[in-house]
Amino acid sequence: MSMRSQVYEWSNLATATNTSTLRRTVNAVPQLVPINREYDIFIGGIGNNITKPAETTATQFIVIEDIACSAYMGGAIQVRINTTDYFQNPDVTDQSGVPGLASPYPRGSSDSTAVDATTDYVQLLKSFDLYPDIYVLPGQVFQILYSCSSVLQGTAATNTVVVAAFVKYTLYDGPDALIANKLLELGVTINPNNVDWYKRTLIEQQQRSRVAAVATNGGSA
Amino acid sequence: MSMRSQIYAWNSQAGTAWTNTQTGTATSIFIGGVGNNITKPAETTATQFVVIEDVAVSPTAFNVSAEASLGVYYRGLEQGGEVASPNGVYGNRAYIQVRINTTDYFLDPDNVGNDGIPGAASPYPRSTDFQPCFNLYPDVYVLPGQVFDALVTTYQDSAFTGATATVLDNQLSAFMKYTLYDGPDALIANKLLEMGISINPGNVDWYKRTLIQSQTAAPMPTA
Repeated sequence: MSMRSQVYEWSNLATATNTSTLRRTVNAVPQLVPINREYDIFIGGIGNNITKPAETTATQFIVIEDIACSAYMGGAIQVRINTTDYFQNPDVTDQSGVPGLASPYPRGSSDSTAVDATTDYVQLLKSFDLYPDIYVLPGQVFQILYSCSSVLQGTAATNTVVVAAFVKYTLYDGPDALIANKLLELGVTINPNNVDWYKRTLIEQQQRSRVAAVATNGGSA
Repeated sequence: MSMRSQIYAWNSQAGTAWTNTQTGTATSIFIGGVGNNITKPAETTATQFVVIEDVAVSPTAFNVSAEASLGVYYRGLEQGGEVASPNGVYGNRAYIQVRINTTDYFLDPDNVGNDGIPGAASPYPRSTDFQPCFNLYPDVYVLPGQVFDALVTTYQDSAFTGATATVLDNQLSAFMKYTLYDGPDALIANKLLEMGISINPGNVDWYKRTLIQSQTAAPMPTA
């Protein structure tokens, strides 16, 4: 029974001999990410990965509240639930998702990798807010896909650009996941406040029915 | 009887200084033996309730590896591993995890404990260069009798390039903001928890007002 704020940060950093590693490693080096291809930040085979696809169990409910990625190199981030991309073009065709320029990670970073007095003056703010949130229902698989449209290469061919992506979500587990499902049925937004509100409603109902039972029994419980 | 806003700020170079041997290892900011520490593990007594409202750690910036033209510094952060192979990561690549008793709070989607909140998402200190994109909501509750800890992990070796490892280069700092409820206020905090109400000073005050109002509204006893 819990509601927990969670984050996952990905970067294209791995060891000199492997393009990806489980968890993070010390003294990691950046890996090239082929352009115009979507890479799952959880199990995409580049950078820090986890052991299995991200999915919810039967007793979990996830609400994705924020996504962000590096603003340079044409970076963008997409959410996929099972096999369906969340962000689509108006003609219902595929797109790469939210550009890093709209939701930069880290906040305040530049839109360029060039660093000198004349170019490093941009401190990007977010112009995108993930609202309404994205719900991952029990038993669903979700992917966060990063893509870039420019080659991650510095001025020299051997220099590689470091890119990163970030996702913030709330994990509802056990009874709280059941309540989240109930709120979904009721059409109420799922957030910690509303889950608490639903709990209070249940408690008040129990109290009322207890009082009514006492009254029915002539004052004895 | 009190509610008190509390903070704990940690600096890796105060006291026993952080060295490269700590890189890759989770280190407690309270009793980790590095930086400023306290005398015993952080814990709540039977009459205390702690609500952790924010955690933050030194920021990280990402750029290009081995780019000599970039220099060693970026927005005041030094590139780690600069001598052997600069990897384009500036700062300590630091993360902060909250642990209650023996359980890590932040998990990866495969339900394995991770390193926690990245400094790039919740930087300390904050600036226009390094802004947060994470806020700790819902808060983390530390119930009476529980032990809590904040663990810092860095992945950037040679972050402290100065020979004496002073704070002049990549200052590694961490920050925790929490509210300490003590005595009757801790009891009220427990009651709010049972009722499924968020524990914050406003709701504790609301519960007190409700109690006072119910006492005032109670009929006077007859002689």
